[in-house]
Amino acid sequence: MHYLSIDKEEWDHTLEKLLLSHNVFAPVNNDYSQDYELITAESIPEITYNKPKPATPLKAFFLPVRENVTVSRASDKPRIIIGIPNCDIQALGLLDEIYLDTDFDDLFYRSRRENTILIASDCFGIQEHCHCTSYGIKPFSSEKADLAVAQMNGQIIIRVLSGPGDRFINTFPHLVPVTDKNIITAIEREHKATEKLLKDKNKGLPDYFETGLLVNDAGKKIWEKYSLKCVSCGACTAICPTCTCFLLIDKPGFEKIKQMDACQYPGFQLVAGGEDPLSELPSRFRNRYLCKYVWKPARFSSIACTGCGRCIEACIGKINKNELFMELV
Amino acid sequence: MANQKNIYKPLRARLTEVIEESPLIKTFVLVPDEEFSFRTGQFIELSVDGIGEAPFTPSSSPLVTDKLEVTVMKTGYVTDYMHKMKPGVFMGIRGPYGRGYPVDSYSGKEVLILGGGCGLAPIRSLLYSLEHVKDKLERVILCYGSKTPADCIYKPLFQRLNNTEKFEAYRTVDKADEEWKESVGVVTNLLNSIKVNIKNSVAVVCGPPVMMKFGTIRLLEMGYEDDQIYLSMEKNMSCGLGKCGHCMLGEFFVCKDGPVFTYKELKDTPDIWK
Repeated sequence: MHYLSIDKEEWDHTLEKLLLSHNVFAPVNNDYSQDYELITAESIPEITYNKPKPATPLKAFFLPVRENVTVSRASDKPRIIIGIPNCDIQALGLLDEIYLDTDFDDLFYRSRRENTILIASDCFGIQEHCHCTSYGIKPFSSEKADLAVAQMNGQIIIRVLSGPGDRFINTFPHLVPVTDKNIITAIEREHKATEKLLKDKNKGLPDYFETGLLVNDAGKKIWEKYSLKCVSCGACTAICPTCTCFLLIDKPGFEKIKQMDACQYPGFQLVAGGEDPLSELPSRFRNRYLCKYVWKPARFSSIACTGCGRCIEACIGKINKNELFMELV
Repeated sequence: MANQKNIYKPLRARLTEVIEESPLIKTFVLVPDEEFSFRTGQFIELSVDGIGEAPFTPSSSPLVTDKLEVTVMKTGYVTDYMHKMKPGVFMGIRGPYGRGYPVDSYSGKEVLILGGGCGLAPIRSLLYSLEHVKDKLERVILCYGSKTPADCIYKPLFQRLNNTEKFEAYRTVDKADEEWKESVGVVTNLLNSIKVNIKNSVAVVCGPPVMMKFGTIRLLEMGYEDDQIYLSMEKNMSCGLGKCGHCMLGEFFVCKDGPVFTYKELKDTPDIWK
């Protein structure tokens, strides 16, 4: 893998020019943490680099909460998303497997996917519930994104990860290969430091495969205990970068609205005859765990939990899935 | 995007006839705007304009491609609307979806079919397919149960099957009336008096979950192997595309991997009868 660099000022200047032809999204700080915003010339200097995940999962750019899927969409301006953490980049793998499936290709998803340049950002540091390394994911991207960037010594250091990423970055002027080994060493030191923080923080947490075995074998009591504080609000699924379930709602003219849905909502599996395998809260609660750690891995090659920890942050009942897993160990 | 197929967009179909099968069950005859074919046991998503969409397995022959029939029990929001519909209106069809019955693999075998209630709808389509290849089959036995004689659907079907070489059809009801001369009791009771060469047989079960469960248990007791029993699973199949997640049964998307499964494929999955 080779590194390129560009002066931060020049990078910002080039981004400003790109605003004419692209919609650029990137994380900026807010009162709570940081989140993606549509970038304007004025907000370019506010873009944050090297920080752990934005509040919103990447899926929100590809799966809108609500969308009419029976009318043709006007072509969007090409998009650039900057500052994507690797947990979200890896989560896109499952979305691609589901929505770009060879039998039923979702044109709405595909057009957004093909229209977007993904620029990952290395995480230098962690948030309280980050645990990507427990599931074999690094806190920096080396695949699936188009480019990965880190800010260092007044420069943006770039790793090229895909063909489209290569073509895209070559339009940037004043781009030079990184020859100063100290810069590469400094970046790698940050990678290692972040990995160590994650490992220390999540000591003893079972890995993805082992979690699947534990979840599969877990008895009723653990689900009853942890679901006591669950109010079926669906925040965990809405914020999850790999949860993609939806509902089709009919509108006159045989139009259909595709709306994000969640197995945590009562009635998700209700059939007209009245049977509902998930009618009881503990079974609904358990379903999310079985889906992520047992069923999806049995079926797809991409991971269904990337350890972003957003579900723990979002839960109004303060349910911490990792505490549940530690209890199962 | 205009040249590619939008997987969410239904095909328009005109409702040409509504046949009353029982107080709660009607058959809807649909003529799609374009030729439409399916394999027996596959299902379609049928829309009532602006109201909703629900999955149904066509009850007509897969060999007929200019129209299709869907037999529907009045049991929920969409089907309540459907039961009020008159011929002439347009409906929407998406599909066909999923994996149907592997009819070719039934060659040379005895096919034992257990049906309950509106579960006879997919079975009727299967029976049309089996009639078409009857020369290659050993024997076809249909056992059908319904709540009362009035709830028995496709009455002419039984007479026709019993007059067709290699086919035999039996009926039972939970509660008989004075005119009923056939069996009384649950559908598995019919199996007590039927002799089947189990080694050279497959069994097909389609009906309400409780009937599927006890039907399967009875077939296993009779000596059927797990991979000789074919189940047509009923789930909330919303998109039909293996995406929306509503029909997940363990690792399976019933809409895409099923709706027809062998018991062997499902037996280790929790809560399959719920």
